[in-house]
Amino acid sequence: MWHSVWAVVRREYLQRVRSKWFIAATVGAPLIMAGLIVVPAYFSSQSERSARDLAVVDGTSVLYDRLAPKLEDGGWTVQEARWHADVVTELRQAANDGSIGGFVMVDELTLETGEAILYTNDRPSAIRQVTMRSAIARAALEYQLEQRGVDAESMLAGGELRVEVLSEGVSRQEEPRFVVAYLGSFLLYMVILLYAVAVMRATLEEKTSRIVEVIISSMEPWHLMLGKIVGVGAVSMTQMLIWLVAGVLLFANGLPMLIAARPEMANLAELREVLPGVGMLALFVVFFVFGFFMYSGLYAAVGAMCNTDEEAQQAQFPIIMLLVVPIVMVMSVIENPMSPLSTGLSLFPLFTPILMWARVAGGGVPGWQIALSIVLMVLAVFAIAWVAGRIYKVGILMAGKPPTLPELWRWVKEA
Amino acid sequence: MSDNGFAVRLTGVTKRFGKHTAVEGFDFEVPRGVICGLLGPNGSGKTTSIRMIMGILHPDEGSVSLFGADPDVTRRTKVGYLPEERGLYKKMKCLELVTFLGEIRGVRRAEGRRRGGEWLDRLGLADWADRRVEDLSRGMQQKIQFIGTVIHEPEMLILDEPFSGLDPINQDVLEEIVREFHAKGTTILFSTHLMDQAERLCERVCLISNARKVLDADLSELKAAERRGVVAVEFEGPDGWLQGPEVDRIERVASGFHLLLCDGADHQAVLRRAVDSGANILRFDLVEPRLHEIFVRHAGAGAVGDSGMPKMGGG
Repeated sequence: MWHSVWAVVRREYLQRVRSKWFIAATVGAPLIMAGLIVVPAYFSSQSERSARDLAVVDGTSVLYDRLAPKLEDGGWTVQEARWHADVVTELRQAANDGSIGGFVMVDELTLETGEAILYTNDRPSAIRQVTMRSAIARAALEYQLEQRGVDAESMLAGGELRVEVLSEGVSRQEEPRFVVAYLGSFLLYMVILLYAVAVMRATLEEKTSRIVEVIISSMEPWHLMLGKIVGVGAVSMTQMLIWLVAGVLLFANGLPMLIAARPEMANLAELREVLPGVGMLALFVVFFVFGFFMYSGLYAAVGAMCNTDEEAQQAQFPIIMLLVVPIVMVMSVIENPMSPLSTGLSLFPLFTPILMWARVAGGGVPGWQIALSIVLMVLAVFAIAWVAGRIYKVGILMAGKPPTLPELWRWVKEA
Repeated sequence: MSDNGFAVRLTGVTKRFGKHTAVEGFDFEVPRGVICGLLGPNGSGKTTSIRMIMGILHPDEGSVSLFGADPDVTRRTKVGYLPEERGLYKKMKCLELVTFLGEIRGVRRAEGRRRGGEWLDRLGLADWADRRVEDLSRGMQQKIQFIGTVIHEPEMLILDEPFSGLDPINQDVLEEIVREFHAKGTTILFSTHLMDQAERLCERVCLISNARKVLDADLSELKAAERRGVVAVEFEGPDGWLQGPEVDRIERVASGFHLLLCDGADHQAVLRRAVDSGANILRFDLVEPRLHEIFVRHAGAGAVGDSGMPKMGGG
C-alpha cells in the first residue's frame, strides 16, 4: 500500500524538480537577485575607483578624526593633507594626474555652519553629495556637542526608548519587528497559495488527461491524494531551501559588496537587525507546512470536483477568501497583537499561519497560545483530510458539472 | 458461495445514473482462464459493468466479486485494466511512465524498468524509451498504455474496447499478445462492439443490449445451438421463394444471401420451395451463424443499430 503512495510522491517530486519551470524559478530568482546586486556594484566600483580617493585638508585640526571614519563608511578612501600655502595647487595637480579623485577643504566656518568645499574632476551624484554633506555636518555637530559635554553619539543615533510592560501573564515584550511580521505573513500567504494551487492543478490535469482511472483502479483515492500533496510539499520545501541558502549567501557576501560600491545604500545593513533568527525560521516552516497541508487538501478537493480550469477558478473562490481574510486583517493584528479579536482570529486554524506569525513576529505572544494554535492546526489537518478525501474520492472519477453544496455534502456523507 | 472457479462474478447488478438505468439485473460470470467477450452496442452498459468490476463504480443493487471476494485494491492490483478512456502523463518519458505504473502495483523499480524495456523492444518502441509520451503518435501511445496495463504481469486482463483506435496491423499484434496471455493461463475479459473481433478471439461471450443481458454462453456451444438457423444460398433466377413463413430475416452477403430461419423452422421446406420456383440453386448450405446474426436474432435489429444512447458513466 505505502509503496504506491511512495511511487506517487517520487513521481510528483521528480517530474516537478526536473521541469524547466522549476529550474528557472528556483535557480533563476536568486541569480537575478544576485545580478541586481553584483552587477551595479561591479560597474560602479570600476568606474569610480579613482574618484573615491579623497584628500581632506583640515584647517581646524579637530575635524579630520571625526570626519574620516564617516567618509570611509560612505565608501571613500581618505587621506589627510597638511595645511600649507601651496596645498591647493599641489592637490589640484594630483587630481589632474588622477592619483586622487578630489579633495575636501574644511575650516573654522565648517565648524560653525557645516559649509565645506569639494574640488573634484567629476560632479558626484546627488546622493553622494548628500552623503558627504551629512558626514561633514555630523562631524561638526559631534564636535560642538562634545564641547558642551553631551553624549553626541547616542543623541545622534536617535536616543533609546526602554519599554517596561506592566501587565502580567505576558511574556517578555520584545521590540516589535514590523517588517518581519508583515513580510513574513505575506510570504506565507504567497507560498501556501502557490503550492496549494499546484496540487489543484496536478489533480485537475490527472483528471482531464484520464490517467486517473488507471491509477485509482490500483490504489485508494486518498492515497493518491496524499502522495500528490506530499510530493508537491517536498518540491516546495526544496525550492524554499534553495532560496533560503541563496538568500543567506547573498546577504552575507553580496550586501557588504553592494554597500562598499554604493555607500548611499548603507542603511540596507540595518536589514540585518530585523532578520528572523533560527527560532522564527523554524516557526515559519511549521506554519507553512500546516498551512500547506490544510489548503492543499481543500485545493485537491476542488481539483477533483472540477473538469476545466474555468470551473476550478470559480470553485476555488471560497478557499481564496479564507486566505485573503487574514491578509486583510494582518495590519490590525500587528498593531493590536494582544486584543481578543487578534487572539481569536489567530487561533482559527485556517488563519493561524498568517495571523499567528504576525503576532509572534511582533513579540509577546504567550507560548501556550502558539502551542494551542499548532494543536488546533493538527486537528484541522485531520478534519480537512477526512472531508477533502471523501470529496476527492467521489469527484476524481466524476464527469459533468461541479457539484452544488448539497451534492457535495452528500458526497461527504456517502463516500 | 464457491466463487473460486470464477475470476469475476456479478449477481443481480443494477446501476443507475439519475433516471437513466445503465445496467439492470445483470448476472455474469467469467470463469478463470478463459477469454470472454462482453459485447454490445455503444451505450449498452459494457463500460459501466467493467467499472463496477474494477471498483470504480459501485452497484446500486446486487453484488460484484473479483477473485471470489470484494473488488478491493489488493485484488484489483492483480488485474491489468485498460479503461475505455485512455490517458497517460504526457510529460513523462515512456519507460519511466510504465515503470511508475508497475510501481503503484508493487513492481520494484528495477524490475519494472527491465520488463518495460522488454515490452518496448517487443512493440518496436525501444528507441522511444527516453522520449516523452507527448512526442509519440496516437498509435504508439496506445501501445504504451497497453504496456502499462500488463507491466505487473496480472492474473487477469480487463480491456475496455482495446482494439478501438488501432490500425489493422496493431490490432493483429494486440490480438496475438492477448492469445499469448491466454496461453499462460491469464483470464481475459474484454468489451467490444466489433462482433468479428470477438468471434475470432473469444471462448465465451456475453451479449448485452439496453442495459440488460441478452445471452451469455460458451461461443462454440452457442454456435452449435444456433447452427440450424442460418442457410447460405446462391442462385440464379426468381427470388420470390426467399420469403416464407420459415424465414425470419434475409441478409445480403458478399455472394448471395443468408437466410435466418425462425426457431424450429424446417430448412427443407425452403429448399423445396426454391426448387419448385424454378430458380437455379448453386448453393444451399447450413452455415455457422455469425455472432452478429446471433446477436441480432436475440436482441432485435434495433439494438445493433442503436448507438445514439448517452454514454455510460457520464454523470
